Amino acid sequence: MKRPTSRKSLFCILPFCIILGLLVLFPVLVAFSNQQGVASKVKKATQKLDKQGQVKISIPVPKNIVKVNEEYQGGVFFTEARKTEIKRFRCSSCHNNKKVTILNAADISHADIQVIHGDKGKPLACDTCHSQDDRDFLVTSKGSKIDLDHVYDMCGQCHFRQKKDWIGGAHGKRVTYWAGERVVKNCTSCHNPHSPRFEKRWPQTYSVPHN
Amino acid sequence: MDSDKKKKINRRTFLKGTASTAIAGSAVVTAGCKAKGLLGSSEAFALEFQEYFKKHYRLMTKAEREGTVARLEKLARLKQNITINVDTTEPVEKVLYGYAFNVTRCEGYMECVEACVKENNLDRKSNTQYIRIFEMEHGQMSPDQGDGKYFHMVPAEGHFYMGVQCFQCQNPPCVKACPTKATWMEPDGIVVVDYDWCIGCRYCMAACPYWGRRFNWNQPEIPKEEITKEQHYLGNRKRVKGMMEKCTFCIQRSRKGKLTACAEACPTGARVFGNLLDPDSEIRFVLENKKVYRLKEDLGTDPKFWYFID
Amino acid sequence: MLSFIKDTLLWNLTGSLGYQIYLGLLICLMLIGVYGYFIQFKLGLAATNMSNIVSWGFYISNFTFLVGVAAAAVMLILPSYIFKDKDLHKVVIIGEVVAVGALVMCMTFVFVDLGRPLQFWHLIPGIGQLNFPSSLLSWDILVLNGYLALNALVPAYIVFCHYQGKEPVGKYYKPFVFLSIGWAVGIHMVTAFLYQGLPARPFWNNPLLGPRFLASAFAAGPAIISLVLHVVNSRMDYKIDNKIFNKLRIIIVSAAIINLLMLFSEIFKEFYFPTHHSQSAMYLFFGLEGHNSLVPWIWTAISINFIGTIVLAINPFKEKQIFLIPALILLIVGIWIEKGIGLIVPGLVPSPMGEITSYAPSSVELYITVGILGLGMFVVTMLLKPALIIEKRYEKK
Repeated sequence: MKRPTSRKSLFCILPFCIILGLLVLFPVLVAFSNQQGVASKVKKATQKLDKQGQVKISIPVPKNIVKVNEEYQGGVFFTEARKTEIKRFRCSSCHNNKKVTILNAADISHADIQVIHGDKGKPLACDTCHSQDDRDFLVTSKGSKIDLDHVYDMCGQCHFRQKKDWIGGAHGKRVTYWAGERVVKNCTSCHNPHSPRFEKRWPQTYSVPHN
Repeated sequence: MDSDKKKKINRRTFLKGTASTAIAGSAVVTAGCKAKGLLGSSEAFALEFQEYFKKHYRLMTKAEREGTVARLEKLARLKQNITINVDTTEPVEKVLYGYAFNVTRCEGYMECVEACVKENNLDRKSNTQYIRIFEMEHGQMSPDQGDGKYFHMVPAEGHFYMGVQCFQCQNPPCVKACPTKATWMEPDGIVVVDYDWCIGCRYCMAACPYWGRRFNWNQPEIPKEEITKEQHYLGNRKRVKGMMEKCTFCIQRSRKGKLTACAEACPTGARVFGNLLDPDSEIRFVLENKKVYRLKEDLGTDPKFWYFID
Repeated sequence: MLSFIKDTLLWNLTGSLGYQIYLGLLICLMLIGVYGYFIQFKLGLAATNMSNIVSWGFYISNFTFLVGVAAAAVMLILPSYIFKDKDLHKVVIIGEVVAVGALVMCMTFVFVDLGRPLQFWHLIPGIGQLNFPSSLLSWDILVLNGYLALNALVPAYIVFCHYQGKEPVGKYYKPFVFLSIGWAVGIHMVTAFLYQGLPARPFWNNPLLGPRFLASAFAAGPAIISLVLHVVNSRMDYKIDNKIFNKLRIIIVSAAIINLLMLFSEIFKEFYFPTHHSQSAMYLFFGLEGHNSLVPWIWTAISINFIGTIVLAINPFKEKQIFLIPALILLIVGIWIEKGIGLIVPGLVPSPMGEITSYAPSSVELYITVGILGLGMFVVTMLLKPALIIEKRYEKK
């Protein structure tokens, strides 16, 4: 009668043992599995990649771009041109030393521009940025001329932190593609240079309550 | 007499039983027929019949993938009268997608939410949104203390905004939980769902710590003119009731080198998207130069979505 | 074999008028369930009140409770086979039949909860993909089906042998009986691990959930079996001794007391130093942000659990059914609430992003649940009636 008892208890304990064994094995396997975290993957990825050839589909490059004067960590990059966006460029077509011969000059003068830029104590004036001598260009506080397409050099005088971030990619936006040639939005693509702060507005949509 | 009565009762019960079984059976059959949908044509039914038996996406050969794509495109033409293009683009080599969200720059405009709804053909009837924006008070860090249902002029005084969506974890608990392997992480880091393989048990939804997954409780309704026609098999193609779905970092766009719809729509540039394995990318610049953090870091899910401040 | 089937059918369909009405009622319940499922199949799960926050509701609550009931058959098998208790040996078959009924209900609940039930073949290893061993759901499917096989085939073999007037051969079935003892504990631990293994849900993610499931199962399960035994004793021609009821009572009370102890441990952890993780418990016991639909339910559940346990423990008036049966019912309902809705819904609320919502089953869910209840009772009746007739005949010989 002894053998059946031991077999009986074996059958009873067996499932317990199997489950216990699996439950111990499980965490041990997980702990020692070769799971690479994101941080270690990123640290290892130091080799430069072929930016043009990465995505097999050809990525169109927008037409109105200019090469930025400074390089970012990956080399040359481009930004959106500005001059083509300004309807009445060239400024010098009106702002010259000749008599004003344009009809409705008073209407199309820039009196509608509100300058809300700078501290309340030290607001910016028109001539802070716009060159008095050559209206087609901007001028820095040190007197160097800046082309309107390269307005980042202008804004970057005071907003040097944002400019550094913009060059690196933490500020601003890439245009449409993450791959291919790096084209980013210019400062004035998003910010109105005369009142750069974003206005308060209603959200585009809302989230429906769950009840 | 007694045995006669017993026999009578026996017959009565038998007839009652058969009658009710017949009713039940026919109800089930009608339900089945009706459930198959009031298909206009038998061709559509034949295509759907073939679709029912198809394999798991990862086990399909190239020919089988092309076959299912052709069937899906044909079905769209037959049933909805639209021409779509379903992609099966493979992951790009040496790419691991990463995302960074600038908490200082988000102003709560929710342009990203709307762009995502349109790009990914999300159900309008149940207002499904992959992205949620939370209005937080200064001093808080966790979105569960914020308000996800605000609707007023933004930005509100004394508040900041942060968005959440599926964070594409590198160690995803949802992938572990799925009983049919219907969800998995692709080599380029995106956690995807094979919609047709999903049985709708919703275990993955219970397992996700970030509320990243959505379930189609009802048949999705999208206005025909708003359907995005460039689709990916694992991305924004037509889903039906009973399937799970989630943000896929716009797999139909990102595998073609495009930014995700949310990153493109953001007017303040608060969203940074790129390749983590490219040392020159913007996302790497953010991770190396900015103060970044991830949500619920202690859970060990290793998400590929960081938050940073200017 | 054929005569066995014929006799079984005959026994099942014949009976007193009361029995016929009872069968008719069960069929009506099942038809209500079919009607409800027809609506749900057409509309999708939007016909229920589940949402992206409360993604599991009434169906899974009932599933959780019923897996426990199924596992409780072990509480009859253990004493009768290991401790060689002669009294309980007589009623083991009833316990196993109740287990089969409970398992059928469990699987049906899971089936109706699926978003795409027609694709269930995706789970079958070989033709589908089963995510074993990673997914706890895959484990659950395997162990539940295995347990159903064990609990259906072993009694079927024994009853068939008895029908033929033969003694069943011990070495054929006894190993499986012993296997089922460990397996029963296994099925309920695996079901508990389903919830316990989710770090996203702090209400569930505690080590006590598995043992607590076992304790509440071994209280509610034998209580249900006890009720079935009362019905069998009074309505059928199968006398059950008072000693059996007393033994079951002791098992139930011990398990119920352990369950209450574990409940106290959980309450202490949540409320001694409430953290952010205690939000779910706050929602359950006191309500959050005006959402307090579960509060009366849980307090009722705990009170009747207590009352049931005390009445069964003290046993006033000595085995008089009039006090024991209501006490059993109170205990069962209390555990059903606390382990069902009182476990699933608070685990999911607040959502991982902090949103709070209410949940109450919709009419469709209630129809389907009632239908499945009818199905379970139907299965138990269909299996139990012929089995007991055969057992009685065999005993007479």
